Amino acid sequence: MSDSKDKGGLSRRGFLQGSGAVAAATALGTIPTGASAGQQAGGNGQQVPGMGPNGVKLSLNVNGRSMNTTVEPRVTLLDALRNYLDVTGCKRVCDRGSCGACTVLVDGKPVYSCSMLALEARDKPIRTAESLVAGAKLDAVPEAFARFDAQQCGFCTPGFVVAMKAVLEANPKATQAEVERGLCGNICRCGTYEQMRDAIYSLCNQQRRT
Amino acid sequence: MPWPTTRRVIGTKVQRLDGPDKATGRARYSFDINLPGMLHARILRCPHAHARIKNIDSGAAEKTNGFRALHIIANAGVQLFFAGAEIVAVAADTEEHADDCLHAIRIDYEVLPHFVKEADALRAPDGPSTVPGGTPNVRPGGDFSTAKFDDVAYEGTAPRVEGTYGVAIISHQCLESHGLVAQWDNDLANLTVYASTQAVPLTAQALAQNFKLPVTRVKCITNYMGGGFGSKFGPDIQGIVAAELARKARAPVKLMLDRAEEVAVGGQRPSAAGTVRIAGTKEGDIRAYEVDCYGSPGVGGGATVNLGFLPYVYSVPNIKRRHRFVRLNLQTGRAMRAPGHPQNCLLTDQAVDDLAASLGLNPIILRTRNLPQNDQNAVQNDPTSFPALRHTIYTRQLEIIRKLCSWDDRWHPPGRGDGVIKTGLGMALHTWGGGGGPPNPTRVTVSSDGSVLVQSSTQDLGTACRTVPAIITADILGLRPQDITVQIGDSTFGPSTPSGGSTTCPGISPAILKAAEAARDALFAAIAPGLNAQAADLSIDTGHVINRANNNARIPWRNACGRLGMNTAIGNGDWPTNAQFQQNPDLRREWRGRLTNNGVGGVQVAEVKVDTETGVVRCTRFWAVQDCGLIINKLACESQVAGGVIMGVNYALFEECIYDRVTGRMLNPDMEFYKLGGIRDMPDIMVHMMDMPERGVIGIGEPPTISTAAAVGNAVFNAIGVRVPQAPFTPERVLAALANGRKRN
Ligand code: FES
Ligand code: FES
Repeated sequence: MSDSKDKGGLSRRGFLQGSGAVAAATALGTIPTGASAGQQAGGNGQQVPGMGPNGVKLSLNVNGRSMNTTVEPRVTLLDALRNYLDVTGCKRVCDRGSCGACTVLVDGKPVYSCSMLALEARDKPIRTAESLVAGAKLDAVPEAFARFDAQQCGFCTPGFVVAMKAVLEANPKATQAEVERGLCGNICRCGTYEQMRDAIYSLCNQQRRT
Repeated sequence: MPWPTTRRVIGTKVQRLDGPDKATGRARYSFDINLPGMLHARILRCPHAHARIKNIDSGAAEKTNGFRALHIIANAGVQLFFAGAEIVAVAADTEEHADDCLHAIRIDYEVLPHFVKEADALRAPDGPSTVPGGTPNVRPGGDFSTAKFDDVAYEGTAPRVEGTYGVAIISHQCLESHGLVAQWDNDLANLTVYASTQAVPLTAQALAQNFKLPVTRVKCITNYMGGGFGSKFGPDIQGIVAAELARKARAPVKLMLDRAEEVAVGGQRPSAAGTVRIAGTKEGDIRAYEVDCYGSPGVGGGATVNLGFLPYVYSVPNIKRRHRFVRLNLQTGRAMRAPGHPQNCLLTDQAVDDLAASLGLNPIILRTRNLPQNDQNAVQNDPTSFPALRHTIYTRQLEIIRKLCSWDDRWHPPGRGDGVIKTGLGMALHTWGGGGGPPNPTRVTVSSDGSVLVQSSTQDLGTACRTVPAIITADILGLRPQDITVQIGDSTFGPSTPSGGSTTCPGISPAILKAAEAARDALFAAIAPGLNAQAADLSIDTGHVINRANNNARIPWRNACGRLGMNTAIGNGDWPTNAQFQQNPDLRREWRGRLTNNGVGGVQVAEVKVDTETGVVRCTRFWAVQDCGLIINKLACESQVAGGVIMGVNYALFEECIYDRVTGRMLNPDMEFYKLGGIRDMPDIMVHMMDMPERGVIGIGEPPTISTAAAVGNAVFNAIGVRVPQAPFTPERVLAALANGRKRN
């Protein structure tokens, strides 16, 4: 909804192009489309074949740990992390590259993990929000989210945290406007943007917004 | 048992206890629960807006890889009334296989006529019924008129103003979708669910009822939940189905809706539209408000369409209201963050500004003149109640916001200003109930190592309710909130009231206060003898117990608790019962007049910039003044208000469920074409909490989202000088309104 020309390198489009999303967005909804509904009504009597070949072995490097599982090629990085490796900080919300709740870092770049196949992420370092805490030691970004209460239900929050971390890692001197641009691919339903601005201000200026 | 008069923690800005866990993804939501051997379930849904099932053939699904269980929800012969209605559910070893199973199921339908647009149903009053029971699609919603309206309403008024105002059906769009994980024990005697719900004990109860189990054998856990907004009050069909499948498969089952399902069946806010005639004296006293309005509750009966209290907030002597429910082939509308109020506000406050324009008055003056008076009866009997204070509260709020937003400098008559981008300022008022009640039993346990545990089955929807028990208990025991362990979201802790109507904080707060005081007193009673003191000699200071019997000796908290030895000090607290309230008016005044209260007012102002060439509206600045009685956590309170405003800006500018007339299906059941604003779409928001601690705790979840859309609508009108009748105020609608305005001139 913001002018797309202003979104910079982290726009939805950028995410999509960078992550082979178009090919990945194949999961089918449970409400049939008009066409498949028609087919069903027609009832041609043939069994719909299972989709895709069987599982393949997959090793992912997640938050510095090597994790192994077996997934079918159609499985997204998000589903591999959540359903097969029990890494659940990345959330599944739209499953279509629109909301940012599934954002993880792949090779240091923010990616919608719902829009990348798990197999594409092989051999690439993956970081999720869980990597931003060690014991009780919080990274500055989640620390700012907690301090300024930039979260309510919190379901969007790990995605925002990872997206913000990506901006600040790429450019530690990023301005507030640049950080905000980096969050344009994320949506918060509870409406915590005002508190996020407090967090952004403190991270960019090392002080509280007045 | 009043609130402490000097409050160390209550009312300050306290970080939520689970902030770091949420921000780093460590917090486990129901959607994140993975159990050993857990299956994944999916539901096949009706693709037609209205159809009868002719035949279900699930044979192939049962032979599909990974298939584990199937459950028929609607059998052949059943009529379904909206696209998305549930038919069959399957569980499989992986989500991918569950999808395959669904696609192997064949269903034949007899497609029946449908309506998915209000205007179509209204145009065909004698058309076919497309809703359950063969009852008419359009139903009267209760007409009302003050005495002799037609004779007296317009006597001595300036010419009346007529306008139409409307707002679309929107979706709750909770980011964590509806659903749960269900797990039975080996004998199928006990059921545990991890549910995304606003009502933990009620969800357990509903499941117990459905499976004919004693309620003690169903446990509902909601550690974290990702948004509800009024749409999550029970297990719903998908929750029951998950438990059915888990029972059949003898394995835990996860069933969370996908986004398209979430939008199709996870709740929607009813539409509203109306033609309003409003008139006042030339000095600005509103004399008449006349409205012909309707809203759609979807296929439901209409309970969620609350247009029966028009006109909203203002005191108007002559009122006439015609109100209809338009039932459509859509999911049943659900309560959504202040059910009915945003719509009532849009249909009132926008008309008020149109009247101000026609009278040539500043809208803040018109509002000040037409506020509801303080109710004298309430002033006598219930001096802290909203009716006793409403005129005082609104008047003060209007004064505050007038300064806060520099209204006198920024406001201009509608449509003034040169250039392509026009700036406007708009205002609206709101009210809400809130207030809590029984039962909310709470237990505070002090252990001999000084640790403190608070337990309640209540739930935290994101409002920071988990932190409320810590704040209140810390205040009473002289500790810090982070010293307190809080356990919530577990139905085995006893009953608690569901989180609806902004009642959670006022519901749990006095029970926590009572429990914390009882635990403190139990501690004092247990350790006093060893200190050569009476319990009454002991008191709390920060981090210490003070012993008056021994020169006010200061005993560090942990040392004092250490004297419990093998024991714990336990305090239980809850509301009086409703029967006790009835017997004892003083008790009622204490709990429902000082500890908690009911009823708040709020005033909001929006600034917008409208590009008159593209029709794009940006909300640039926003001011919100909100009363909520005694504030427990100022940080969370301000966040609720700003969040409510943002939800309201979305409502005003972006959100709309769009349905296709021909297929009856929703065209944007997603987050790409169903628009929600991002951080750069939202205004700078200034929140002013109007502190009224003497009123007690009231509840703040709903009020701040009510008047936002109307304030934005009025700001757009102020900017361009013509009314955009239908929200959301999209570029297309803004350009159409501008073109219409040019035609008229
Ligand atoms: S879940 Fe991936 S962008 Fe929404
Ligand atoms: S905090 Fe709930 S969606 Fe962002």
